[in-house]
Amino acid sequence: MTSGSEPNQADICRAADEFRSRTLSKIPRLLDRLIYLASMRDYNTGLYYHDGLAAQFSEDVACETLAGCHREVFHQLLLCPLREIVDQLEGYIRSARTPPADFVSLWNGIEPYRVVVPVRTDPLASDLFFSNLRVALAIVGARLNGRCPGTRVGASPQPSPAR
Amino acid sequence: MIQLIISILVGAGLLFLLYALARKGTKPEGGAQALIEARQALNELKHDLLPHEVVARIFAKDDLDYVLSAAPEDVVRLFLQQRKRIALSWVDRVRGQVVRLKRFHLGRSRSYARLRLRAEIALTMDFATLLFACRVLQILVFLRGPYAAPQMIGTTVGIVEKVCGVSEASLAFLDSTNTASLDGQSAGTVAGV
Repeated sequence: MTSGSEPNQADICRAADEFRSRTLSKIPRLLDRLIYLASMRDYNTGLYYHDGLAAQFSEDVACETLAGCHREVFHQLLLCPLREIVDQLEGYIRSARTPPADFVSLWNGIEPYRVVVPVRTDPLASDLFFSNLRVALAIVGARLNGRCPGTRVGASPQPSPAR
Repeated sequence: MIQLIISILVGAGLLFLLYALARKGTKPEGGAQALIEARQALNELKHDLLPHEVVARIFAKDDLDYVLSAAPEDVVRLFLQQRKRIALSWVDRVRGQVVRLKRFHLGRSRSYARLRLRAEIALTMDFATLLFACRVLQILVFLRGPYAAPQMIGTTVGIVEKVCGVSEASLAFLDSTNTASLDGQSAGTVAGV
């Protein structure tokens, strides 16, 4: 990234273990982890930044570590059943500061989930991921409108924790 | 007048045929490009299209059951439409990669002197079955949705994996370890000289 030399694999493994145990494990849902990891990436360069990891290892190692964790979390979420994705989305909406109806409307409109996919993801995998989120949003939206057959209203407005 | 038009049409047809033949002839079969394409096709099949968990997720029946039980009709329609599109795209890409592998094997068999006839015939049959199965799958998914032929998907994946195994063996000499050993050999030869 900055030095131009290949980062050491052993360092990347150590950094990834540390990042998983200290940071990712504190984030309860895969969807939240994915959004968090995507937010560590510079949209213009595609490189990831993390001051703590960079200080402890190097910027290159931090970047590779976050990229690897991002791919890993994306893959885990991709393989989740739709039911789980809906649960995760409802959980994420509950933790957001936005009213659920506004959230669903905004996500349907500008599809911000499109930027959380790791670089060089296979188009079929991205397509499946987007499609699952689109359907999950439709299900959550229908629940909010009380249109779902015999299901609870999962995304009811609740006071959100400080994020 | 009519004779003149017919002559012009025949002439244009011949010119077009000549152009098509000339274009086809510019791409040597079994060359480096074919090797690279075959390796790319194998990688794409192995890592992106064939992993069982990915295939299982695309054609997951539990997702359909969940949507049927938990969502209104318009969402069920949206779900089926989305999964159908993805399933068609999956079949289309698998077919595309199989065609690339077939092209590679065809080029290889034309330039390879010591062919094992039985193995080549079996491979040809596998390719033919696969391409036919992909077409049938495309039609079934298009007409009846992604859940129309679950067994056929499993069978198709099985044959693609078999063909991938054969192709992998044919391309083994391109592996980095082999390349490294070749490098070592050539370095040794150079040193010997």
